[in-house]
Amino acid sequence: MRADDAKGMLGRALFAAAAILTVGFANFTPLAAYSVNLLMQSSTYAISVLGLTIVLGYAGQINLAQAAFFGLGAYSVALGTTALELPFFPSLAIGIVLAAAAGAVLGLTSLRLGGHYLAMVTISFQTILALVLINWVSLTRGPDGVLNIKRPSLFHGYFTDSGHYLALCIAALYGVGYLVWHLRKTRLGRAMQAVRDNELAAGVVGVDTYHTKVTAFTLSALLGGLGGALFAGGFAYISPDQFTFSESVVFLTMVLLGGARSPVGSVLGTGLLILLPEWLRFLKTVYLAVYGSAVILIMVFMPDGIWGFASSMGRKLRPRSPIALAELSPLPLTREVGREDGTTILEASRLSKHFGGLKAVDEVDFSVVRNSVHALIGPNGSGKTTLLNVLSGIYRPTKGSVAFEGHDITRLKPHERAGSGIGRTFQNVRLFGALSVLDNVMVGAERPGHVVEGGALGLERHALAALDFVGLAPRAHERVGSLSYGHQRLVEIARALAGSPKLLLLDEPGAGLNHVEKDGLVDLLKRLKGHGLTIFIIDHDMNLVEQVADHITVLNFGRSIAEGSPSEVLRHPDVVAAYLGEVESHAAS
Amino acid sequence: MGFNLQLFFTGVGVGSIYALVALGFVLIYRATNVVNFAQGDFAMLGAFSMVVLAIDLALPYWLSIAITIGAMVAAGALFNLGVYYPLRNRTFLPVIISTIGASILLENGVLAAYGPRPQSLPSVFSIQGFSIGSVFLDSQYLVILVVTVVMVTLQYLFFERTLLGKKMQATSQDKEMASLLGIPVALMIMLTFIYSAVLGGLAGILVAPILFVSVGMGSSIALKAFAASIIGGFGDVTGAIVGGLALGVIETFGAAYISVPYKDAFGFLMLFLFLLLRPQGLFGERVAEKA
Amino acid sequence: MPLLELDKLVAVYGKVEALKGLSLKVEEGEIVTLLGANGAGKSTTLRAISGLMRPASGSIAVNGRSITGLSPDAIVKLGVAHVPEGRRVFPGLTVRENIMLGGSNRRRASRAELEADAESMFAIFPEIEPFADALGWTLSGGQQQMVAIARGLMSRPKLLLLDEPSLGLAPLIVQQVYKVIAEIRRQGTTVLLVEQNAHMALSVADRGYVLETGRLVTEGRPEALWDNDEIRAAYLGRRTQKA
Repeated sequence: MRADDAKGMLGRALFAAAAILTVGFANFTPLAAYSVNLLMQSSTYAISVLGLTIVLGYAGQINLAQAAFFGLGAYSVALGTTALELPFFPSLAIGIVLAAAAGAVLGLTSLRLGGHYLAMVTISFQTILALVLINWVSLTRGPDGVLNIKRPSLFHGYFTDSGHYLALCIAALYGVGYLVWHLRKTRLGRAMQAVRDNELAAGVVGVDTYHTKVTAFTLSALLGGLGGALFAGGFAYISPDQFTFSESVVFLTMVLLGGARSPVGSVLGTGLLILLPEWLRFLKTVYLAVYGSAVILIMVFMPDGIWGFASSMGRKLRPRSPIALAELSPLPLTREVGREDGTTILEASRLSKHFGGLKAVDEVDFSVVRNSVHALIGPNGSGKTTLLNVLSGIYRPTKGSVAFEGHDITRLKPHERAGSGIGRTFQNVRLFGALSVLDNVMVGAERPGHVVEGGALGLERHALAALDFVGLAPRAHERVGSLSYGHQRLVEIARALAGSPKLLLLDEPGAGLNHVEKDGLVDLLKRLKGHGLTIFIIDHDMNLVEQVADHITVLNFGRSIAEGSPSEVLRHPDVVAAYLGEVESHAAS
Repeated sequence: MGFNLQLFFTGVGVGSIYALVALGFVLIYRATNVVNFAQGDFAMLGAFSMVVLAIDLALPYWLSIAITIGAMVAAGALFNLGVYYPLRNRTFLPVIISTIGASILLENGVLAAYGPRPQSLPSVFSIQGFSIGSVFLDSQYLVILVVTVVMVTLQYLFFERTLLGKKMQATSQDKEMASLLGIPVALMIMLTFIYSAVLGGLAGILVAPILFVSVGMGSSIALKAFAASIIGGFGDVTGAIVGGLALGVIETFGAAYISVPYKDAFGFLMLFLFLLLRPQGLFGERVAEKA
Repeated sequence: MPLLELDKLVAVYGKVEALKGLSLKVEEGEIVTLLGANGAGKSTTLRAISGLMRPASGSIAVNGRSITGLSPDAIVKLGVAHVPEGRRVFPGLTVRENIMLGGSNRRRASRAELEADAESMFAIFPEIEPFADALGWTLSGGQQQMVAIARGLMSRPKLLLLDEPSLGLAPLIVQQVYKVIAEIRRQGTTVLLVEQNAHMALSVADRGYVLETGRLVTEGRPEALWDNDEIRAAYLGRRTQKA
């Protein structure tokens, strides 16, 4: 960790130096008006595009109305300083609030629906706003636009000078850029990326996906408003045709070209797409058509944009520094010793899940004893995964209830169940592909209601301890994609463990593992049980189940057909018939 | 009463244009799960093609239409190969963005070739129209209605009565299974794109004498067509048609009774309402809420 | 020469090796069954044969001719039809239309021929004749299975790959389906049958292979397999078999 710390500090120092230099340059060097305008457009656009980095790059949600939010900010400053005769900064504040509020309302209403619905809603909002800007002449001055927008009057009109105002814009850009960069490493930023990479898993691991998406969308709108507000002050004149759907598309292209996932990418993309046409002016008429083909080509060949491409190249050449292990303290879990005390930790009563006429799970009862390993088995199509999804909260049961530690959790959402201490892994490993191993596990540690001493740093140490428990601590900073499948499976388990769960739901943890890896898994499960964790496991590999399970429930056609210890159940004639198909004594009637 | 009937007639005429574009858009969606943001630009291409052929080159009207349809076939094929095919296995976001890119490309390509001035295509009819009672039936609107009815009927017959139509339906419903039966899936998708482009182009040919032909005409029609298909029920063919017609009527009445400049907003307001209250639209299946 | 021969087939899903060097053969006229617990690789084997997935290494040959790496529609034209797991009847098309589309690989067949062939399918599957014009999604699981098999037979295959035909079906319906499978063989089509339900499969098969996590663990004639502890172990684990 020390090496990375030093690198981080160096990076911050360089960033600060660059900021001071650029701002200073803009402020003190006399530049031609043409250059000043170009740079002003670039910096204010870049702030808006950074908003798209958050909503699209981090959270993976589409926003085709960024120009509308940009327009809200711009018009607030324009009308504020002219019609309402307010000073610049209060007008700017109003613009930001207005844009953020619009973003929040839009997000709250449409983020429950997916993908193209959100696209449609944002386009609709954009279109309606454009119409209002043109037609509500008494408010917005209509197609003529607003003239004589004032700049800040602070310090005796210091910022009236374009150079100084430009310096202000650039300083704002650096500030916003830093915050957006920093966001990536915060809890919220990780939650957003988790939602982007695997929304289902994010929910199950404890992320409130709806809330996270709305926050991302609101932040995006806020930055759009800020950019627009500064833009208005910079150019002193705005008109409705600067805030149409086409401009939203321009913003989108900028973030895609540079690379949506990194703030560096957005600034790069913005700069290129503003400066390039100027330099390629002789190509102007054809340029815009080339623009369109560029978007297609980027999507096909460089979906992570220029910066994304460059940094993935850089990653290949420069391996991550390994982590210093001396500072790891073991998981608190390891201080416990498990004892089966006979109390029930999870109880399913008459649990049913019907899909139309199909009864996937049909009146299933079972109890899971604290500190035991309880297995759920049954032939293909018997309803095991459906049952597990009901237990996780992904499906609402049609009938029946689930109680955890005595509390009815039947109506709780997946992230709320994670919050009460239920962890889960998936049959097909669902990790957050773009995040590091440690970040994946951190998301698990950051589940709601998880109190660990030491605040943020404490959570990180806890996550590392979870990784250490599964033996993967040295690989904490690698990208999950580079791990073998068996190791990815272990990371998923560590992610669940990092939330200090009381009950662990494992869906076919052995799937895709070879013999050696399965033996390792059996050992791991035994150790976990030894430390008092209750485990509920589905698997098809009976050898594995035999070795770890204390208690087995068998499903067939959605109903429970046998319960008991492994030796009882695996020789039970109904169970043998269910698997191998002897016709006599069929219990499913 | 006469006034309202007139409005209704106009609304249904405009709505037919939306319906044709929405139909093409829904067919592509059903076959490939792609939301094609460039669908309206096929209409724009159709309209511009008519302007170039019938006015600049002074070709006979019917010949111009035939050549335009041929051009739309080519456009659909190129679109499939250049935009959809390279991204067919990716998630929906890159594909949507690509179709947006295609839209920009098409619009600015035409802009570069033709310049920004809107064009107009004069009506080809010697009779302006005729009156029934107090309602004046404009010839062009009548043609739009007739053509739309004919197209919808032909399409119904094609999909329901021919083997090829069945194969295309099968491809929409389960691509993998279709390939296991020996149905050439890539060809089916190509045909879908071609047909959708022709539908779009047809809409452009029909609407050119009524609106100004401009580079941006496609986008606004497309946005409304999308709104219409969501109102009708996303992914449902009948929904696209009903949604389009409904949108045309709502807009026309809205413009007459409420406000002309905000005419374009009515459709989107309807869309908001539907998304809030009934996201599956009129005919769609229940939208699965993300758990 | 065997109708179908797999040689050291390796198949990979992402990072997971689903098949680890599988070799087997099917002679003309046989019903061969592929057994094993879930996740053993049975469906993967069929998907590799029909071209839905490309093997990482190894070969697949039909009548001596390699079909490794060919596309699904090329393979079905060579006479290998795959009825996949889960039936996958086209929900928006009628039973008759579903069945007719099964003949899509027969380029020179006219529509009239396909219609006539579909009619003759109803003779083999009388239970679905009343539903000829019903939409696919309205049928029960068992009826859909019949439609799926009829659809597979329409391509006039030399080799029919059946993936878990008994999945999710009540025992009585399973018996009906298996009567049909026996009849198919009687009419000269070779069948490679993947099943979890070992008892039913072995009641109709000439030979069987047992897979466990991507590897062949045993093979033989039905009676021998049924008495073999390996098969129970493959499904139900090894420890508790010591009765």
